[in-house]
Amino acid sequence: MASTVISQGITIEGELTTDDDVVIEGTLRGKLVSKDTVRVETGAVVEADIVASSLSVGGQITGNVTASDRVDLMPGGRLIGDVKAARLTIADGASFKGNVDMDV
Amino acid sequence: MADVTVIGQGIFLRGSIKGDGDVEIRGRVEGDVEVAGEVTIGEGALVKADVTARRITVRGAVAGNLTGEDGVRLEEGARVVGDLRGAGIGIAEGALLRGNVQTGTGGEGRTRARQQPAQARTPARVEPRKAPTLVAKTSTPGRKIAPPEERPAPPPPVVPVLKKGSRAVLRKRSR
Repeated sequence: MASTVISQGITIEGELTTDDDVVIEGTLRGKLVSKDTVRVETGAVVEADIVASSLSVGGQITGNVTASDRVDLMPGGRLIGDVKAARLTIADGASFKGNVDMDV
Repeated sequence: MADVTVIGQGIFLRGSIKGDGDVEIRGRVEGDVEVAGEVTIGEGALVKADVTARRITVRGAVAGNLTGEDGVRLEEGARVVGDLRGAGIGIAEGALLRGNVQTGTGGEGRTRARQQPAQARTPARVEPRKAPTLVAKTSTPGRKIAPPEERPAPPPPVVPVLKKGSRAVLRKRSR
């Protein structure tokens, strides 16, 4: 189980900093910095810049995303913003608008 | 685990938490917490915020006012600096509180009725002296009051003092 869960119906506004993994099912506005995995689940709304080691997107993100490891856009996921990551996968059915920087 | 939002141990949140579900805080939160459900402030948590919820349970440290519509419960290990307000307020042995307590706003405190009169009053008497310092620390109004009496005066004396001091030192050295 993830150490931090922002569940449905909850809105967090502000800056979230952690060393552990985070699961977002609700709403987050502001900024999120994690040294571990961040999962944005289906139905989640994130209007924030995210820095994480790896990020999976099943919900909706508006903001720039930086991952030291990888970013996975799942089917149904929506991402509007720039991605900077070592690896990026975009599943069929995901929508994405933004630039990609993969340290080529 | 369905509807509980958990702010984990390693988390530092600066901002607000709002919404319908339950929230469990084990990390650090600075900002306001306003939730329709239950709020649990776990052991090792550090919350600098006003917390408003249906029910609040505290086992960690809180600096801020706690308002629990149904009740506020301080369990062993709780350290609270701030006011408590709720239908029923329970303070268990081993909990520390500095602040005002007000019970009976809204519904009735059922199971906690026993604890609330005896223990709740003691902190209430202690509080009035210390409350002003809290306000000054936490809120900006304290700063707003300061500027009118401001510091334009201090600087001029400070500079000559420094000069005198440094000259004296130089003289001593030259001798």
